[in-house]
Amino acid sequence: MSLIATLLDFLPEVLLLAGALLVFLLDAIGIRRIEVVGSVAVGAILLAMLFVFADLGFAPVAFLATVPTSLIDAVPASGSTPLYWFTSLGFFFQIFFLIAAFLVALASMSRPSHERGAAVFYGMILLATLGMMLVAVASDLIFLLIAIELVGIPSYLLVAYTRRDVRSMEAAMKFFIVGALSTVLSFFGASFLYGAYGTTNLFVLASGSAVNSGALGGGGFPLLVAIGYCLLIAGLAFKITLVPFHAWAVDVYDGAPDDVSAFLAGGTKKIGLFAFFLVFLGPVLLIRGTVEFQWFGGIGPVALGPVLQIVLSVLAVVTMTIANVLALMQKSMKRMLAYSSISQAGYMLIGIAVGTAPALTGASLQVFSHVVMKSGAFLVVAAAASLGVGPLIADWRGMGQRHPWLSVSFAVMLLSLAGVPLTVGFLSKFVLFSAAVEAQGYFIWLAVAGLLNSALSVFYYGRVLKVMYFDGPDPALPAPPGTDRSASEAAPVLALRAGGIGYARATTIALIAIVIVVLGIYPGPLLQPLAAAAQHFVNLGL
Amino acid sequence: MSVPLISLTLASLAVGTVATFLAGRYARWVALGTSALFLLEIGILFSGYAWPGLLHGIPQFAFYESHAWISIGWLTINYTVGVDGISLVMILLTGILQIATVLYTWNEQNRPAAWFGLVLLTCLGCFGVFVALDILFFFLFWEAVLVPMFFIIGYWGGPNRRYAAIKFFVYTHVASIVMLVGLLALAFYSHAASLDFAAVYAAEPALTGVVPAFLFLALFFGFGVKFPVVPFHTWLPDAHVEAPTGGSVLLAGLLLKLGAYGLIRWGVEVVPNGFHTDTPILLVIAFASIIWGSVLSLSQRDLKRMVAYSSINHMGIVLLAIALNSELGLVAALFLMFAHGIVSALLFMTAGSTHHIYGTRDIPSLGGTASATPRLATAIMIGSLASLGLPALISFPAEFTALLATWQALAYWVLIPLVVLVVTAGFYIWMMQRVLFGPPKGIPNPVHDLPALEVIAMGILIAFTVLFGILPDLLVHWIVLSPIGVWPL
Repeated sequence: MSLIATLLDFLPEVLLLAGALLVFLLDAIGIRRIEVVGSVAVGAILLAMLFVFADLGFAPVAFLATVPTSLIDAVPASGSTPLYWFTSLGFFFQIFFLIAAFLVALASMSRPSHERGAAVFYGMILLATLGMMLVAVASDLIFLLIAIELVGIPSYLLVAYTRRDVRSMEAAMKFFIVGALSTVLSFFGASFLYGAYGTTNLFVLASGSAVNSGALGGGGFPLLVAIGYCLLIAGLAFKITLVPFHAWAVDVYDGAPDDVSAFLAGGTKKIGLFAFFLVFLGPVLLIRGTVEFQWFGGIGPVALGPVLQIVLSVLAVVTMTIANVLALMQKSMKRMLAYSSISQAGYMLIGIAVGTAPALTGASLQVFSHVVMKSGAFLVVAAAASLGVGPLIADWRGMGQRHPWLSVSFAVMLLSLAGVPLTVGFLSKFVLFSAAVEAQGYFIWLAVAGLLNSALSVFYYGRVLKVMYFDGPDPALPAPPGTDRSASEAAPVLALRAGGIGYARATTIALIAIVIVVLGIYPGPLLQPLAAAAQHFVNLGL
Repeated sequence: MSVPLISLTLASLAVGTVATFLAGRYARWVALGTSALFLLEIGILFSGYAWPGLLHGIPQFAFYESHAWISIGWLTINYTVGVDGISLVMILLTGILQIATVLYTWNEQNRPAAWFGLVLLTCLGCFGVFVALDILFFFLFWEAVLVPMFFIIGYWGGPNRRYAAIKFFVYTHVASIVMLVGLLALAFYSHAASLDFAAVYAAEPALTGVVPAFLFLALFFGFGVKFPVVPFHTWLPDAHVEAPTGGSVLLAGLLLKLGAYGLIRWGVEVVPNGFHTDTPILLVIAFASIIWGSVLSLSQRDLKRMVAYSSINHMGIVLLAIALNSELGLVAALFLMFAHGIVSALLFMTAGSTHHIYGTRDIPSLGGTASATPRLATAIMIGSLASLGLPALISFPAEFTALLATWQALAYWVLIPLVVLVVTAGFYIWMMQRVLFGPPKGIPNPVHDLPALEVIAMGILIAFTVLFGILPDLLVHWIVLSPIGVWPL
């Protein structure tokens, strides 16, 4: 395969890289206005998104497709061990990642025009997105882990890019140390798997064939496989913040600049989930009762798939329950959102534990809705911070009256996070939990646990709504500009400007709220192709 | 059927609700207009149902509409609505209580636009529950009722409103979850073609063994909390005591009926095998609710709390009538639901007005109100007499049918509800004796009797109480028009 053809396959990624380089170039020649830099980044992201949509075959732009359709959703020839492969589900995840980057990039253009570090911020967003895009096409463990690392390093920098705030620096250090540890764990796990299978190719790992036949002879190495998967679960669990590997996330999301929190919680965290898809769906689907391996000391035969499913189920239930309970106790808005983000990871993990095509559809949809809702929620927090609202939930008293449109948008996002009908958050949970029920067996209890957790989560989201709408404004606060309710209700755009959060941020937030409601009511255009993609993915057997 | 009347009604209610929220100080007029239009549409639904040739599918529904919403192979969800006699009766109740509530709370001063909007939203949700013939949309509307009621209690309620609102929400929401999983399991375990009522209904016989019994129990848990049945009833008195009067009216009149309606529509009709297996459990819980609700109301000092506990008693009789597993029992249950909806709404209105006029609902600190406020006293009297089952008022034919059905099915077990009925009559008469008559107590000077709008609101309910009390067939006609005969009872 020629270099040109390969680069064409990766055109969206190349565009992101070019965008990042252009951003740094502009910085070097002294063009640092956030509007210019931001426009370059947003442009690169949108262009990349256009080409991914084209590769997915969306009718109006399909002619722009650069990846040959014969390569998409195709099983590689037997014996070949490709580093990457193209699946329509991977393309969907690329779009989700690009959406997260787009939202944050667009909203951040409302920051002060001459703020320092615009180039670092946008450059790192683009590079991290590039890494996320590569995760979505990986078919080799080493490729996958290097792509994850490519996301990690820009993210550490993003957390610390302001270089002034001590809390950000602390968060960045924590993030860096935990990130390095999780990478080490993952690579260590990969090396064990390499020892057992003689390869890190995911197709070979997924087939599980080497375990019994013993590529290295001697009836396989079950202990190597077990340790390898344990370490991989631990390493990747750090990335998607599963309990008990979650503690760093709260401090990092809390300490990072608000826009960066939106990107981390809404965007980068999801790569771990797709990595879980890649690493575990194969074993879960293929080794379900078919390939068994003899345990040491004559215990067994034990099928690998069901064991992995139980481990993942337990992780899912523990994650969502503990995170929800902890979220209930939070007084800080960002910490509450961070815990809610952790609990959402638990919901998504249900999809992997169940491992059927419907469950995969549900989990992917949940990823999408979480990208939109959680980025949106953190962006609203960023907007509120720019209005002088404090970090505590109690500081949001009377927001409903003071900033009606911002509050309504936030309410839509919180309701969606809580899974209230007519929002995309409800739809994704409904599909996910339906899929768990559909799979029968003990998975119905995953649905029950998930639904009970949703009920629990209603409280901490509801508490914010209560504070915003039911508790009167804090009497100690001076009346901010734009409190004249009749004027602000008459002219929403004016109210947004009077609120002082800036057009770009206001547009982003409004866009997110609209998408949440529209897709909640009319999900067909997204759900239909997503379900087909999930089906393809499962049919491929990886 | 070419005219999608149910969708139009839903749309008119939705538009009316949104318009009410936005209408500012004209909200009450928009709400009134929406309610009037709703009543007109209900009239058309009734006349259309009697028209032959509208029935569709089995079980048979009129004004049936079905449009694909999600179709991804394993999960097919259609927007499906339709009405039969059972839902029509409940829809009529919704329409009556909606306009009565709007009129009763006409002078609401605290955020009137939000108040009337939430009232309409509650009624929209109830209407949706009564017409939805698809698991998802049923659940959507079911939950759509919960949210406005949470805000109605939590914002306009009494001093302890926060606790009451949250308790209400927790109880009913957890129940909804179990119900939803039960319904989904019903569809998926029986491999129904879609989540439609008709599809699940057709597929249910595929379930074997203990599965239907467990699924019915899950559904019963979900619906039973809404009823509410003992031992899941404790949210109800708290919610009622703290709720504003309009909220209590909707809560007792409509929300409790959702549970009973759901049990009939999605439990008894769809999972008859599970229903048959679980009948003893239902009977025990029904008797417990009847006795417990009645005994507790006897010991209440608060007028509203007393009515709330008597609701548990009445809904217990509804559950008993359903659990009898006979056609007569179902007719009685539906009639009782309607009767209780009207009468409890009336009683909660009078309790609210009592509080408004006398500043207290404490029964022992009231007395001699009959001479001070004759209009209010009349309303209390009619409501109480109707609730204790005086002939010629609406509850009498309903309860008589229920007892008759109990006698047919369970013979001497009928003595339990009969004896309890005497207790019920006892606490209502005792309450009237203390509050209406006796030496004047706690009467402010000057005292204002009911304002005209409240008289109109209560008058509407009293009119229906008398009308269906004397001519029960006007209502029963629609219930028996439903193909109860073809139900696999």
